[in-house]
Formats: sequence, C-alpha cells, structure tokens
Amino acid sequence: MGDALRRAESGTQLLARLEGRSSLKNLEPCLFAEEGSPVHGDVIEFHGPEGTGKTEMLYHLVARCIIPKSGGGLEVEVMFIDTDYHFDVLRLVTILEHRLVQSTEEMIKQCLGRLFLVNCSSSTQLLLTLYSLENMFCTHPSLCLLIVDSISAFYWIDRSNGGESLNLQEMNLKKCANFLEKLVREHHLALFATTQTIMQKSTSSAESFFPLKLQHEFDTDYRPYLCKSWQQMVTHRIFFSKQFNSGNSKGFTVVSCHLKKNNVVKRSFSIKMSFLYSAKSVLHS
Amino acid sequence: MSPRSAPCPTRCLSARQALVAVRRVLLAQFSAFPANGADLYEELKSSTAILPTGSPSLDQLLDSGLYTGEVTELMGAPGSGKTQVCLSIAASVSLGLKQHVLFLDSTGGFTASRLYQMLQAQAEDEEEQAVGDTALSQLEALQRIQVARVFDVYEMLSALQEVRDRLSQQAVSCTGPLKTVVIDSVSAVIHPLLGGRQSEGLAIMMQLARELKMLAKEFSLAVVVTNQVTRDSSTGLLKPALGRSWSFVPSTRVLLESKGAAWEEATTRRSASLAKSPRQPTGMQVELDIGNSDVQEPSPATPTEGL
Repeated sequence: MGDALRRAESGTQLLARLEGRSSLKNLEPCLFAEEGSPVHGDVIEFHGPEGTGKTEMLYHLVARCIIPKSGGGLEVEVMFIDTDYHFDVLRLVTILEHRLVQSTEEMIKQCLGRLFLVNCSSSTQLLLTLYSLENMFCTHPSLCLLIVDSISAFYWIDRSNGGESLNLQEMNLKKCANFLEKLVREHHLALFATTQTIMQKSTSSAESFFPLKLQHEFDTDYRPYLCKSWQQMVTHRIFFSKQFNSGNSKGFTVVSCHLKKNNVVKRSFSIKMSFLYSAKSVLHS
Repeated sequence: MSPRSAPCPTRCLSARQALVAVRRVLLAQFSAFPANGADLYEELKSSTAILPTGSPSLDQLLDSGLYTGEVTELMGAPGSGKTQVCLSIAASVSLGLKQHVLFLDSTGGFTASRLYQMLQAQAEDEEEQAVGDTALSQLEALQRIQVARVFDVYEMLSALQEVRDRLSQQAVSCTGPLKTVVIDSVSAVIHPLLGGRQSEGLAIMMQLARELKMLAKEFSLAVVVTNQVTRDSSTGLLKPALGRSWSFVPSTRVLLESKGAAWEEATTRRSASLAKSPRQPTGMQVELDIGNSDVQEPSPATPTEGL
C-alpha cells in the first residue's frame, strides 16, 4: 500500500511526463564529445578561469534556444539563475540582432519572452529559489533548459560560515545539488552550470582532497573543490582556456569530456559579434 | 483497551495545511522571483547609461564610456595614474552630466585641489557657459562629489550599506541621483585580510564583491574600482592582485602603465590597455596624458564683473 502511494505522481507531473520536453539534441553539436548530446537529464559543467568565454558560450546557447524555429533556433524556454549578478541582457540582444534575419523590436521581445532570469545572493536563497521554481517547471512544458551561472559563487562565504566542520560548509550546496538533480530528473531538463577555477592545481596529487582519476584532469588546470554530491551528478565537463598564440589573443580552447564514457574532444573557437565558431577537433578517448 | 477518542481527521488535515501555508509564506518572502527577459530589457533600456570618463581616448577603449550596472576595474602599479583617472571620472560625471558621485578613498590619495584643477580644465573644454557662470558651476560640481575616507573593509562595507539604504528609500535629499561609485583602492582594504590558511579574508572579499555587484545591478550604478598588479609566475604577464576569486568580479578591466623607461625623466604619459571586456576584443591600447604630475596650488577662480 505504501509503495503504490509513493509511486503515484501528481497530475502536473503526469502531464509533464506525457507531453514531453522538446529535444535539445541539436543545441550545439560542436561542444560535445558525443553525438546526440545533450539529452534530457544531462548535467553539463563549464569550468575555467576568468575571461575564457564561459558566459559568452551561455549567451550563445540561450540565443540558440529562444530564437523561433523559423529563425533557425529551437524555440524553447530557458531558466537562467544568475548568482554572480553578471548577466548582460543588452549583450544578449546584440547577439540576437546579429542572428535573426529580421531583427525587429517585436521579434527581439518575442524571443526574450522565452527567457526567465533570477538573481540569487546567497546559497540559502538559491535553495529556496529552487524550491519555489519547481512550480514553474510544472506549468511551463516548453521550459527545458536550466542554467546556473555560477554554482561556485558562494564557495568562500559558505566555507567561512561553516566554521571547522566540512559538513556544515558544504551543506547548502549539497542540498542545492540534490534538489537540482531531482528537478532535472523529474521534469526532464538539461542543466548547464559554470564553475570558476579558484583553486590552484596542487603539484602533488597526494595533497588534493579528491584524487584525480581521469586522464583529462591531468592535462587541464582542474582541481575539484565543490561537494561530492555535485561532482557525482555531472555528466559532461567542459574546460575553457585561453589560447596563447603569438598573434591571436582572441582565441579560446574548449576541452569537452563525457565523464561516463571517458571521451574527450578538444576544439578552439573565437568570439566575434555573432559568435563565429571555428572548430578544430582533436579526438582522443 | 482503554477508551480513547478517535483521532480527529480534520485536525490532522489543518496541521498539514498550516505547514504548507508556512512553507509558501517562507518561500514568498525569502526566495528570488524570476523576471521575464522582455520586461528586463524594457527596464534596462531606460535605466542603463554610458558615462563619459573625461578622456575621449579612454572612452573609446571602454566602448564609449563606463556602463552602468557593471563593475569596471583599473589596475596598475603605484604611480601609473589610477587615482588621476578616478578623479577625472568623478569630475566628468559631476560637471558634464550633473550627476552625483560617491568617492570612497582608502589610500588617502584624494586631494580636492587636484579635483578642482581637473574641473577647471574640463570646464574650459566645454566653452558652453558664460565666464561668470563657470565658478558657480564648478562649485556645484564639487558639491555633487561626496568623499568618504574608509581605511578598513568594515568601514567600506558600512559606507556601501549606507548608500544602499539611501537609494532604497529613494529620498530626494541633497545627495540627489547617484550614478557612480568610485573606490580607490579596493586592494588597500582587502590585501591585509588575505594570506594565511583561514578563509575568512576571502569570504569578506567575496562579500564586498557581491555588495558592489548588487549595488551596480539593482540601482543602475557604474562602479569603478582600482587594484594593484602582480606578475604571473608562469607567463610573466601582469595580472590583477587579490587572486583568482577577485578576478571574476569586474566585467571590464583596464591596465594602466607608464610609458617610457624608468631612467628617463618623469613623464605624464600613460598607456591604457583593455585586459577584459564583455563587448570589445581585448588588447586594444590607447595613450593618456594624466596632466601635470605635481599638484599645484590652484589660484581661486575670481568672479568677473558679470556677477
């Protein structure tokens, strides 16, 4: 009797499951190491030092999602949680204007109507906001992309508030990560989150708290510092870095790793007004 | 079996309802509300402004000026002209746009006489007003610049809290519309807190960063901060001080350097290069002249016969 009760779902959950969310398969094929990514339930982490194009890439993805199908986009709604107070609507509008064939004010407003933006100023507020957003995911079936920029914004403040106990320090983020996983699973979303490289990579691996297991982690400047719950729910990790070529200071490199299948792809891109993409891929697994 | 009243179902139901109601109230009060992109765009179109810095070449570097809603960082070695540029920004916003400026000085480098000199120089460039009005307008411009001397981070945080309270109440007081907050410098108050194994210093730094960004975004202010530079050990390039966590905070970063070698005689020429920008390609470089390097005693502006 108890099992049957637990398996019963609410009416809205049933609707969400049956109506289905739009496919995000063609979101950005160059960015992923695997064909047909991202699928629903994927959690993709953007990791990199400052000024390497993570937020630009997010603008590019958002533009691709909110542009109508007639303009070459996916026509889905996006929920953007901004913890850095960094989001620049005017920059997004510039990108949209360059992407759309007829960039009238009407069209831009219509596209922007598919974007929802929330600002959070602490990890507690982030957790409470996620709880209150759950209702929105039920009522908006076309909302299939959730972006958190960035999820590591409260790391030092949480660490200082937690005092000596590691559990207390990580408690808020752990709860956020668990709830995000529940949201992604139940409402069939894809989650993109950025994390910042705020730790220097330790020279001796004995010092690092989380041992580096995968090959790609030795190549890039990656030192995991967020809680284990978050580390375990990430399915793709994409590393951003600057290219230090002699003449070209505007190039960026992206190393995309599919964590479960251990595929790695390396590409480079440059940012122009409408975000041009030059892909040189080096594939190794 | 001892007789006892059956549990009242209505009482259990209302307890659950009460819990749900409490949860709803808490969420409504403490969580953030999503805004629609189109509404946000409408709001930003009317509230975003681009403020001139007082130097046309620097304006060109910053894509026509300082954008409100963002934190801009000026980094440079001591003597590279950061305070001069800050004074120039304060003078330009106050004189040209007639908007109020808050100047938080943590190094003691602010001198009113130098600011007055810059106001005079900028007023001469404008040539709009009659000669008799310039002294009055310069005095009014000085009155619009509010200076607070803060020498540690707690004083700075409380000064910012005061600004936030004033702006929230929207009281039309003598301060008027505040559009710019200049902080010279942020590394002077944060640097003593960093180092060592405790993370409290970093937490306070991130709290200050968050406060600055929230002020900029919520009240449409342009926040300008100055910072020191250090040399990167691996690449040898100059990078901003205060570490990696701070480097994510500003949206735009300008590096100020002295032109010419150290053994040449002191020059007032500086070069400004764009190190980080959300709109322009980095690497652009312009030349600035920060004026006379020694502060002269200004001759007070004498009112003419017209007054």
